[in-house]
Amino acid sequence: MSTTTQTPAAASKPSASSLAQSATFRTFATVFALAAPIIYVICEMRNWPLFTYHPGTNRLDLGWSAAVRDQGPAMHWYGWTATMLIGSAILGGIATMLPENVTKRIPLSLVWILPLAAVPVLIYALRFFWRWE
Amino acid sequence: MGLIPDFILDVITVNTFWSILFICHALLAVALLGALSHQAMSVLMPVRVAAGPGGFVTRFRAVQGAGYATAVCVLWIITFFFGAWIYTKYRMYVRIPIEQEGFWKTQGVFELKEHLASIGLGLLPIYWYLWKNARDPQYDSPRKWLTVTLAGFCWFMFLTGHIVNNVRGFGS
Repeated sequence: MSTTTQTPAAASKPSASSLAQSATFRTFATVFALAAPIIYVICEMRNWPLFTYHPGTNRLDLGWSAAVRDQGPAMHWYGWTATMLIGSAILGGIATMLPENVTKRIPLSLVWILPLAAVPVLIYALRFFWRWE
Repeated sequence: MGLIPDFILDVITVNTFWSILFICHALLAVALLGALSHQAMSVLMPVRVAAGPGGFVTRFRAVQGAGYATAVCVLWIITFFFGAWIYTKYRMYVRIPIEQEGFWKTQGVFELKEHLASIGLGLLPIYWYLWKNARDPQYDSPRKWLTVTLAGFCWFMFLTGHIVNNVRGFGS
């Protein structure tokens, strides 16, 4: 059954000047969505944050750094997210330079399959927390 | 606390500030959850135009999903930003006691919540594009399942936020 949304024309019809009609934006957004879960999972599992934030002292260190004794914890999540956003944007930008007949072959189903596939990997990466004590 | 502008602390206390920020985060999350739930239902169980008037469930899934796309993107980004801001406080004053109490699984699901929030952020551009081309049948399947995926992520994050708040939230 088709799920094409039955909407009034004004609700979903893209205007001629909008991003929604741009093949370049489609390519960028597709590659961005494919790269994001992959880069994020790699960054999380390899511990590659762009920067480390120390909330106790408001200090930022480039790359990964450990918590400093008596100065509170170190936070890497911001750095993983920044790596993911910048890395995905770079890959998306590069993809826009490819010919359209190449980019049109990228299966769009991967934009939801890859994020779902990342979930069990991340659950495994968090195995330290799945314990009874 | 260097993450709160000084002029705000001239008016309210630090605790009041974090409480207001958290309530805003939670209310935005409710709006996001509602929008994504409506959208997900509208693609999973689309209402046929000729079906006529129906009950609550029919009306719930009979929304014009395309009209929610931009709002969902904006809500996800603002909710993410507020959550990321609160996270500094959480890391210092909530997570450490949770670990000391040995609530490891609670901490684990919260870690998963932050991962899903970030990954969801990366899906927003293509989600927006697919919904802005909702009349194009070639995008039916990816739009449907991407929306359901984001809705599932949102439900998980919402419930996890509630659980963590129950473990150590206001007044703890």
